[in-house]
Amino acid sequence: MGGAVDESAVLEAVRRNVLAVVPDLDPELITPDRSLADLGCNSIDRADVAAMTVDDLGITVPVAEFGGVADIGDLVRLLVRHC
Amino acid sequence: MPPGVVVTGMGVVSAIGRDVPSFTEALRGGRTGITDPAGARITGWSFPDEVHRLRELPARLRDRATRVAARSPLPLRVAVVAALQAWASAELHDRPLPPERVGLVVAGSNLTARYCHDAQAECATRPGRLRPSFALRALDTDHVGTLSAVLGTTGEGCTVGGASASGSVGLVAGARLVSSGEVDACLVVGAMLELGPLERRALTALGAMAPPGGDPTAMCRPFDAGRRGFVPGEGSACLVLESAATARRRGVAAVAAFAGGVTRLAANNLADPDEEVEAAVIAGALRRAGVRPHELSYVNGHGSASPLGDATEVRALRAALGVDFRVPVVNSTKGLTGHCLTAAGVVEAVAAVVQLDGGFAHPNANLDHPIDPEVRFAGPVARSMPVEVALSSSFGFGGFNSAVVFTRPAG
Repeated sequence: MGGAVDESAVLEAVRRNVLAVVPDLDPELITPDRSLADLGCNSIDRADVAAMTVDDLGITVPVAEFGGVADIGDLVRLLVRHC
Repeated sequence: MPPGVVVTGMGVVSAIGRDVPSFTEALRGGRTGITDPAGARITGWSFPDEVHRLRELPARLRDRATRVAARSPLPLRVAVVAALQAWASAELHDRPLPPERVGLVVAGSNLTARYCHDAQAECATRPGRLRPSFALRALDTDHVGTLSAVLGTTGEGCTVGGASASGSVGLVAGARLVSSGEVDACLVVGAMLELGPLERRALTALGAMAPPGGDPTAMCRPFDAGRRGFVPGEGSACLVLESAATARRRGVAAVAAFAGGVTRLAANNLADPDEEVEAAVIAGALRRAGVRPHELSYVNGHGSASPLGDATEVRALRAALGVDFRVPVVNSTKGLTGHCLTAAGVVEAVAAVVQLDGGFAHPNANLDHPIDPEVRFAGPVARSMPVEVALSSSFGFGGFNSAVVFTRPAG
């Protein structure tokens, strides 16, 4: 996407997809310092959130790179690097 | 087969009732759920509300059910509620068995046809839309994993398939796990198959499914001269089969005895029914149950309203029961629930047990001109009668034939 996407737009995309996967969640809880696991996402939920956000952003991210993601902030920064 | 296998719990979710009491009342009143041209639909039903309603279950279990299954496809959410109802009625929450002594048989194959179709449509132009969870949710065995995760059971588990006879095939398999001593109790879940547009089209083209048209409530006509094929019904049900010994030890009353069951193939891969094998499973199940034909009070027929199937079934019943074919009252639950396909055998086992327990035979829907005037078909209103022995038969494409027998619990 040529670097035009900033972290807040990517965080918004992550937030939208977390809510699609875990609909009952309070959106205020989806912050960079929390992990998806803290928010009740299991390993399959996390894969869904990552894949849906990657698709929304129109980017490609090698699956192996998600291995180092500890919290939502890490996820956002990883996605931004590929935009 | 099973000396001492009893039914200690039941659950059902269908178009005519969201639990066993409402299902029983609908049967008694002969209320049909086929009010939509597409068949009998489960409407106005919410998974979290239905889980929440099961207040006798610990909050911990209800929360786990909601967390694990709230996002599962509809057939699985419906199965979880049916299983929780059965778990509660068998009192497995407060008179528990060791988790490794509880088995789980999910009856049905191709349960995710509709889910797969929808995912394919969504991803046709945009493969990136596919959620990785599809890899798990597309599997029939997701039912087994999810139900065991909700209930915490760790005994033997599997899916078993037998087309429209799946439910009955599952009951025979579950009873065998109990009677062999492999488990103390086994949940047998008749899982809901949600037809996709391809299945609907092919089943209609084959002449198996009634073509839509006219008054939906008059479409499904089991054992009637004017029958035009089956009408699909949404539903799922669960029976807890348990050894009489552990039920006694837990202090839980049996609602019925599972007295016998037989499954046989007919060496064919077509949609054709086989009179000889149908008669053999009916006679065989009665023999296993130690019941003579004249002692049979009630038959819950397969009765799908298939032109060839119903005619074959009536001939098989005559062949199996001989001169006593006029003794049992015969009805078809499918006229009210629609054909619950893979779940039908378990939905109808619940129907058979509640009629045994409640002493009645539910009406046959739309039976204006019975195909065999000598068979004792239930009429347009419920009949109060003692039911000592109930037989439920199920026949499926590909030569699957199965029958199960329930009797009143001992003591």
